[in-house]
Amino acid sequence: MFLRMIRGTLLRQWKKMLMIAFTIALGASLASAMLSVMLDVEDKVNQELKTYGANITVVPKAASVLNELYEVEGGEASGAYLAEGELGKIKTIFWAFNIVDYAPFVNVNAALDDGSTVKTVGSWFNHHMELPTGEQLDAGITSLRSWWEIVQGAWLDEQKEGDDADVCMIGTALAKKLGKSAGDTLHLTGSESDRSLRIVGIYDAGGDEDDQIYAPLNTVQALDGLDGKIDSIEVSALTTPDNELAEKAAKDPGSLTVSQYETWYCTAYASAICWQIQEVITDSVASPVRQVADSEGAILEKTKLLMILITILSLIGAALGICNLVTASVMERSSEIGLMKAIGAQNGAVSGLVLTEICMTAVIGGVVGFFAGFGFAQIIGHTVFGSSITMRPVVIPIVAILVILVTLAGSIPAIRMLLRLRPAEVLHGGR
Amino acid sequence: MKKRQMFLRMITASLMRRRSRMLVALLSIAIGATILSGLVTIYYDVPRQMGAQFRSYGANMIFVPADTAFTEQDVRQGAAVIQAADLVGIAPYRYENVRINGIPVVAAGTDMQGAQAASPYWHVDGAWPAKDGELMVGAKVAESFRLKVGGEIELSYTPETRTQEELKTVQDQTCTYQITGILDTGGSEEEYVYMSLPDLAKLTVDDGKVDVAELSVSGGAEQLEKYIEQINAAVPAVTARTVKRVTASETTVLTKLQALVLLVTIVVLALTMICVATTMTAVVAERRREIGLRKAIGASDKSIVGEFLGENLLLGLLGGIIGSLLGFIFAQQVSIHVFSSSISFRLWIVPVTILVSIAVTGLASLLPIRSATEVDPALVLKGE
Amino acid sequence: MSLLELKNVYKIYGELHALDNVNFTVEKGEWVSIMGPSGSGKSTMMNIIGCMDKPSKGEVLLDGVDIAKESAKNLTAIRRDKIGLIFQQFHLVNYLTAVENVMLAQYYHSMPDEKEALEALERVGLAGRAKHLPSQLSGGEQQRVCVARALINTPEIILADEPTGNLDEKNEEIVVDLFHKLHDEGTTLIVVTHDPEVAEVAQRRIVLRDGKITKSVVNENFTGKIRFS
Repeated sequence: MFLRMIRGTLLRQWKKMLMIAFTIALGASLASAMLSVMLDVEDKVNQELKTYGANITVVPKAASVLNELYEVEGGEASGAYLAEGELGKIKTIFWAFNIVDYAPFVNVNAALDDGSTVKTVGSWFNHHMELPTGEQLDAGITSLRSWWEIVQGAWLDEQKEGDDADVCMIGTALAKKLGKSAGDTLHLTGSESDRSLRIVGIYDAGGDEDDQIYAPLNTVQALDGLDGKIDSIEVSALTTPDNELAEKAAKDPGSLTVSQYETWYCTAYASAICWQIQEVITDSVASPVRQVADSEGAILEKTKLLMILITILSLIGAALGICNLVTASVMERSSEIGLMKAIGAQNGAVSGLVLTEICMTAVIGGVVGFFAGFGFAQIIGHTVFGSSITMRPVVIPIVAILVILVTLAGSIPAIRMLLRLRPAEVLHGGR
Repeated sequence: MKKRQMFLRMITASLMRRRSRMLVALLSIAIGATILSGLVTIYYDVPRQMGAQFRSYGANMIFVPADTAFTEQDVRQGAAVIQAADLVGIAPYRYENVRINGIPVVAAGTDMQGAQAASPYWHVDGAWPAKDGELMVGAKVAESFRLKVGGEIELSYTPETRTQEELKTVQDQTCTYQITGILDTGGSEEEYVYMSLPDLAKLTVDDGKVDVAELSVSGGAEQLEKYIEQINAAVPAVTARTVKRVTASETTVLTKLQALVLLVTIVVLALTMICVATTMTAVVAERRREIGLRKAIGASDKSIVGEFLGENLLLGLLGGIIGSLLGFIFAQQVSIHVFSSSISFRLWIVPVTILVSIAVTGLASLLPIRSATEVDPALVLKGE
Repeated sequence: MSLLELKNVYKIYGELHALDNVNFTVEKGEWVSIMGPSGSGKSTMMNIIGCMDKPSKGEVLLDGVDIAKESAKNLTAIRRDKIGLIFQQFHLVNYLTAVENVMLAQYYHSMPDEKEALEALERVGLAGRAKHLPSQLSGGEQQRVCVARALINTPEIILADEPTGNLDEKNEEIVVDLFHKLHDEGTTLIVVTHDPEVAEVAQRRIVLRDGKITKSVVNENFTGKIRFS
């Protein structure tokens, strides 16, 4: 009989129940959309902040000490280099998945035909890598220097030209000085060989690079006979903002206890990633670029906090909205419930019936709302970040608990009111 | 008694004596209005607040000499063009080649407070130099010369104007400094030693010359370009430029962030408004029988719609007022917790919130009222 | 001319003839009761006379105006000006006090006047309960408020649908006494009821069965002031 009554309500009052389900669905979709976005916003904004360029630099151990200090006196110091052959290993570290981009650099002072020397940098532009994991990655300065403005020509396409092709890009200041434009050739003489490079593009970097030449890695290596050698690596990694542990570890990983070390090593702190890079690249020193790494941390934290607060607001809003409607619609049924009580229904039976109905409606609404909310999250993800929002299982229980709690909370005042009803009043006291 | 008085009396009676139901409706409208005004306030404040956060990336504008050199005076003059509130930090730099134990090192003279403000990401082990005769060294310099915080260091300087003859006979100028801190940035700054401009002038030549100045200015790319134009026109000795890496990236990221908040605001608002609407519908639908009764005793459809709408619009007004207040408080709390600064109050949000609440409430109740008036009063009164 | 005249009135719902060729007249000042079992067409007739429904066929002349041909909007106006309604379930607005419920009828009719409304309540013996809400009044008191509301605009006809259906004997008596008073003052009364006791005190009673008037009895023992031969 109980089931029959419930079925009766659901069938006959389907319009009202539909409205409740609809509102619960709205609330649930709001909750799941906001939670999904909130949980994913850190990753997304982190990706966006990659436009600031690398947050980790790797240099040879020997060079890290005084390389550039000597440079003041006697030009490029010879000696320590990193091995080009080890570059692939960066994508094999524990946090390989967090390494979104990296590029090697080799610097050569090459002579132009008029006798002046120009800093020539060899690097990857859009170097294509097939990783053992099956992942594919296009790494290089095309993405690491996203703020460069191409004034003339286009970005050097390494995949088309090959990594020892006779092509290069030059800065605006240099182009102006030499009177060159895209399509012209530039003759460079290094200590070992000389090459004529075709200028494919002129960039405006707004910095020292405007006086330099950028060319494919192997092309530049050949100028000075530096085959297989590189000066530095810039790495762009998704990192977790530093905390006390990370700072302690950055100073001396040896000072950590075993469990602290494990926590640190298995968290994507910039210092942990640096440590892991040093483990795979022989004789290297990797250090975070504070300008990028620290700022990233600060901005990520703020964005996350902002989203958390907005999420809390909308969750409260959704909760109160549902609560309200449930209260309003239960109150509306006072005459029906008065009748039930008049024909002898106990308070428990009445509350049970109302609660069961509302909960069934809530479950239907909640499920529909969850998927709708996930859809909203995807719309936000695609419109703002151009990528989809990851579905996180943790959202499901949160939304479920929220919907159930809120529905029950919304029913309580209404049910209390119903229990206070005297059947005679409802049936006789014309409302 | 006037008709209007009775109208008001009925509405107040309905509001006061049907308190629990009216509270339900009012609460729902107020929540909607709170979310509306809170989110809109945050949305409009995000660029400003987040922009301030992006200043942690350091200088986004630099001054370089238009000719060969400029003075600190020129820098101050250029900086004066920028509104004080927009200028986060300014640090003039003067670079000189000095020697430690005969090995050349670049010494930079700057305004320590300015540098700290303009480059907040600088990480100093120990303390920033505060007094004369104090300096900090870059991490790489510290490593190669095995320098420690609290230690002393002697710098020597050879003026470039000396002839070969003089070099052999005249002693270098030397000064001894106390090391207060070691600078860690992960960049080329680690290879310099930093001291105050007067200290550097004492060691070298005091000509007031500055090589470059770094400025951290809050404001979007357009605002920066405007300042640069003004500065270049006002101070001929200075050429101002943006630091492309910082400004271009900031624009990209900020645009996305604002788009994110906008979309979130739209989604949340749309859903909340529908929630408010359904609640209002439920609240009005409950009164079908009353509407039937009023019709039976001779009320025209128009007057019924007028009364019920009047009542609900009043609710909308109240809810809107409460909501715009709560919304501002909420936005303020968010701002203080997230950005540790208070939010700017935008007066226009208040009337907009109130109008939207009234409109949503009105529209949401109009439909059920209309449908209730269309029903035959006899049917409604016969009971359910 | 009669105040109300139904000529060959039919009300047909699909197969069902709720009213089947009804002819019926009410004179000004008359007190008529309509009786009949459930489903006899009482309610349909009441709705048609109360301008809440229209017949499928036939003429309903109220004060010489055929209300079967009027628009819904005009019907509302006619109801407001000429008819006072009393319901079995009282139907008071539950958040308005007794006097405000009475004033509601004035409000829709012309101008609310609290003094007049209080006088009306006094007539039904509720002067002391004017400021009470319906939930604070007994069933009989609520019905008396309805009576006061029905007569406040001095309608041509007071139309009562089972006015004593929800009342105990004592309250029933009070309401019937009120009807007597109204009748003495010259108000036309039409009372739909299935309670013979209430029906028999009327001047004339008609009995409906299957949509047809089967009986029309004049009360020989009528005690009211105004009589019709």
